Amino acid sequence: MKRQGGISLRNLIKNELIKIFKKKTIYITMIVIFLLLIFMNCMFKYANNGSEYNYYLYNEDYIESLRNELKTLNPDKSSDVTTYINILSEIQLSEMMQQYKDAEWKLAIINERISPYITERNTYQYGAEKNETQVEEINKQIQSLTEKLDGNDWKYFAKEDLSQANQQIESLYQQKEKTEDTAQLKNIETELKTAETEKEIAEYRLNKNIPYGSDYLNRALSELQTANMNLTNYDSLDKELEYQEKLEYNRYLEAQAESRYVLDTGMDINKTDSLKGILQDFYAQFGIFLIVVIIMIAGTIVSEEFNKGTIKLLLVKPYTRNKILLSKFITVLIMIVFVIIVTLIMQILIGGILFGFDSLADPVVAYNFNTNTIQEMNIFANLGIQTLMQLPMIVLLATLAFAISTIFSNSTLAITISLLGYMSSSIINQLVIGYHLNFMKYFVTMNWDLSIYANGALPYMEGMNMNMSILICIVYFLIMIIPTFIIFKKRNIKNI
Amino acid sequence: MHGKTTTIKLILGLQNITSGKVIINGYDIEKEFTHAIKRVGAIVENPDMYMYLSGYQNLKLVANLYKGITKERIDKVVKLVKLENRIHDKVSKYSLGMRQRLGIAQAILHEPNLLILDEPTNGLDPEGIKEMRELLVELATKEKMGVLISSHNLAELDNFCTKVCIIKNGEVIETSEIAKIKKAVGHEVRLFEVDDVNCAKKVLKEITILDDHRFKINLPKEEVPGIINKLAENQVKIYEVKQEEKSLEDAFFEKTGGNIIA
Repeated sequence: MKRQGGISLRNLIKNELIKIFKKKTIYITMIVIFLLLIFMNCMFKYANNGSEYNYYLYNEDYIESLRNELKTLNPDKSSDVTTYINILSEIQLSEMMQQYKDAEWKLAIINERISPYITERNTYQYGAEKNETQVEEINKQIQSLTEKLDGNDWKYFAKEDLSQANQQIESLYQQKEKTEDTAQLKNIETELKTAETEKEIAEYRLNKNIPYGSDYLNRALSELQTANMNLTNYDSLDKELEYQEKLEYNRYLEAQAESRYVLDTGMDINKTDSLKGILQDFYAQFGIFLIVVIIMIAGTIVSEEFNKGTIKLLLVKPYTRNKILLSKFITVLIMIVFVIIVTLIMQILIGGILFGFDSLADPVVAYNFNTNTIQEMNIFANLGIQTLMQLPMIVLLATLAFAISTIFSNSTLAITISLLGYMSSSIINQLVIGYHLNFMKYFVTMNWDLSIYANGALPYMEGMNMNMSILICIVYFLIMIIPTFIIFKKRNIKNI
Repeated sequence: MHGKTTTIKLILGLQNITSGKVIINGYDIEKEFTHAIKRVGAIVENPDMYMYLSGYQNLKLVANLYKGITKERIDKVVKLVKLENRIHDKVSKYSLGMRQRLGIAQAILHEPNLLILDEPTNGLDPEGIKEMRELLVELATKEKMGVLISSHNLAELDNFCTKVCIIKNGEVIETSEIAKIKKAVGHEVRLFEVDDVNCAKKVLKEITILDDHRFKINLPKEEVPGIINKLAENQVKIYEVKQEEKSLEDAFFEKTGGNIIA
């Protein structure tokens, strides 16, 4: 008897799949997704190619318009002077960059080190407090820096930074020995850590041969610096961290470890223009596509049969209504797997053709909060975990669409409400976190994305954990699915 | 909206029964639905089918849901409903009559012993109605299927039904064979054509005069020769005696006094 039940359920599911795959809708949607994937992959490929300083280098029209604007301004008028100084500095910065555009590191030095001097000089020259000697002084500074640019040796700057940091450290140690005062000591300790960070950065630059610029290595350096500084700040606080602070602290720990990993290995772990880079953020980038298709299937599978009257065809067959509805729900689950796999395959093919398949060999790098170490993982294993972590959300959204579609036999309502639910979830979560609405931690949108627990990360709110989230998802699932089955079973088929 | 479709839906378990029960092949439709419905084929309201599929694919879907429906069976049914030339076309291109026939094919594929049809000739042209009638008679006689039809078109039922059940205001007022009903309500009436009705009236008090030459009288078959003799003896010239033709429709009006739900 049981075996027979299994076979009959299989036949029902088989029919449901035939009905879906004989319809054009599924193919049209998948083609649209295919085109969107191509489009987005191209954007990843062709975006972000230029230097950060192209803005100054290739925006002639803009610079020209600045020059024209400058002519209309009078530095002697107090209402004009601030704008005059800003525009003049901008023009001078741009001119200088034009002059040194042969090497990216020069542009970086101009932008980071010379640019503040230019503004300062102009302020002394045209501003309210004019000071000729200061202008001279600053001009000399600029002069000496520009000479170093002409010397073509970026390492000079790094060496300079390093020796300054070393001197600083040495003097701080001396101060430390002399001081007895605890408050003073603490200050020194903090300064020492800052100096050590400077030293670490300069050493990385020299040892790993990283010229100044705006590439991922420089980004890693600046992230490392920010993380170190913030961690030092938190460490110097003499109190138990609050939950929000702990979250932030963890973020900096992660950034610190990841930046060091990038600098040590030279690998760009967040590279977006590679197949692996796109795949490791697969659900963040393309999750919406999957969800739209899945909601569309789940939101029509029952209501369409009601609207077209074909449900009667099914209901006068020798199957219980529970079995008929169950077969439809299982079909939705099968379609979830199908849509995910097809979209993944399409992405791997498109990404592979555009970026090459080599990057699939690169590991996905993530910081593990449990072990406080960097963890490497194969991209396919990572995709599997990503999928599992997103599955509660996808299944719950599909169930919502399925339930509305069955109860109200209205596809539009089912699809709209489910999509709204998906799209508003991130806003809801932000509000809940932003306003510390602790009671909302049991709300479904806070719990259905298990990736918040990935690698032992702290969840949005205190008191949440993965097991509880799974339990909450199951409860929401049952709340939706049980009434759906009861209503479908009791339902009278009305005359059309 | 006289409750015909609702009745059929109750029989098929598509609506909840508030009182009474439906038993098909010995099984209660509410308690043992899958057993009761196993050997039932039905079309409720319009023939339902998936428009984006071909006729054959629609039949395949039905075949998948029953055990042991072979390809041969499908072909046989297709031939029976005369769709063999168009069966691989999309249903959206079918005429209404073809859809009705495909609907029947869907309903009889699993060899049911009860076929339930809701106004099977609704919307069909005269030719379609004739084809449908022939098909249903064939199913009933050759395939030995019980065919249950709901209709308010009484002339149609008169043509191919053997038994009727009249429902008025939700109550069954008659369930019997058509011939019996006709007999009961009007088939004892004889129509006479004579030279002078007044003369006949003198002889037979209980006649109803229709015009100068015709009258009718309620009288069993065996008394007819006696009456003819009696009239002849009284010099009434008889040109014609015939049984009055009554349609099922007339019979029903007499039974129900109007407002028929059948």
